[in-house]
Amino acid sequence: MLANFVSIPFMLLLSVLQSTAISRITLINGCADLVLIGVACWGVKEKGYNAFVWALVGGLFTALITAMPFYIPIASYIFVALLAKILFGRIWQSPILMLIIVVFIGTIFQHILSIFYLQVNGVSAGLITSLRNITLPSLLLNLFFVFPMYVVVSDLRQWVLPGEDYE
Amino acid sequence: MAVYDFFTLPRDVTELIQRNSELEDEVANLQSQIIQLQEQLQEADILYSLLDYARSRPADEYIAAAVIGRDPSPFLQYIIIDHGSDDGIRYGMPVVTQQGLVGRVEAVTASAARVQLISDAQSTVNVTLQTQDADALIEGSISGDITLEMLNQNVSLNTGDILLTSGLGGNYPADILVGQVVDIQKTENELFQTAYIQPVVDFDTLRAVLVITNFQTTNISPLTNETER
Repeated sequence: MLANFVSIPFMLLLSVLQSTAISRITLINGCADLVLIGVACWGVKEKGYNAFVWALVGGLFTALITAMPFYIPIASYIFVALLAKILFGRIWQSPILMLIIVVFIGTIFQHILSIFYLQVNGVSAGLITSLRNITLPSLLLNLFFVFPMYVVVSDLRQWVLPGEDYE
Repeated sequence: MAVYDFFTLPRDVTELIQRNSELEDEVANLQSQIIQLQEQLQEADILYSLLDYARSRPADEYIAAAVIGRDPSPFLQYIIIDHGSDDGIRYGMPVVTQQGLVGRVEAVTASAARVQLISDAQSTVNVTLQTQDADALIEGSISGDITLEMLNQNVSLNTGDILLTSGLGGNYPADILVGQVVDIQKTENELFQTAYIQPVVDFDTLRAVLVITNFQTTNISPLTNETER
């Protein structure tokens, strides 16, 4: 229960950081998604369903800021939590490798959703351009932020749920 | 005197150490004050430039706002400003800086607003060339590049030509500086020529903007396709 409550200030903090600082750190046109990484980091470390609450809370905060429709961040983060749940303990029991895979697939899923939405709304979002200028740089930045976030989330988890680490 | 110094030196050293520590604290305080003042000076510079711009167009009414965030999606070009409906900001209001056009207000809350930049993929602005009587429109893209579209092939377009808002469509006031032509794509088989535009505003370093509050946007959608059917 406490883990769910903690998700509110933590995801709020990540959303604010995302909007004010991280979105200014760009590589070509891509930028990292701290909320997605936060959800993935929490998801790969637990057997329960708290990551879905984290995904929902993170998605709602992001939806308040972004001009994308609310269901895109929510669906992306829930997909990340679901992926972490499916892969939990299946990849050499190693959370770091699993985390990288979850963030990689999650980012691609999120970008496919965004491109699909833009195409439906008449925006010409060329797949090659999107992949080269946005998705690949974003992937790289996401993977860059994975490790610091993993350390932060691990510490937070030990504080919230002491003795429940499945590493 | 030397004997006096010999006996009083340890006390002086203690005093000196204490004094040194006090001075170090003072230096640290002054350094932080200098940093704060430099930041305030930068902010004042930006505000003075905005004020100059506002004075140069007395017919318009403005609200100055600070840029407090950006859209988290890399596919969209939006900024978030720290003024909202409580301050008189409304949907559709044009946003400018002293350099030129930034975009328009796309969503408003009580204390903040989201501004769609002209480089956003869903943004189109009617423009006119400064030196010729030729209308066209500019479109953004997901990568933030801006292109000039729908410009008649007969118009002689040159690199460096300046673009201003034309006021057509009713979304933006006329005669606001938008950008300049950097690369022209002219194919004889095409109906229109296109060009890449360098916006005059650097959207990456935007810190403060002016919202034009007395401009009434015109909704022309009832006059378009839907009613003709």
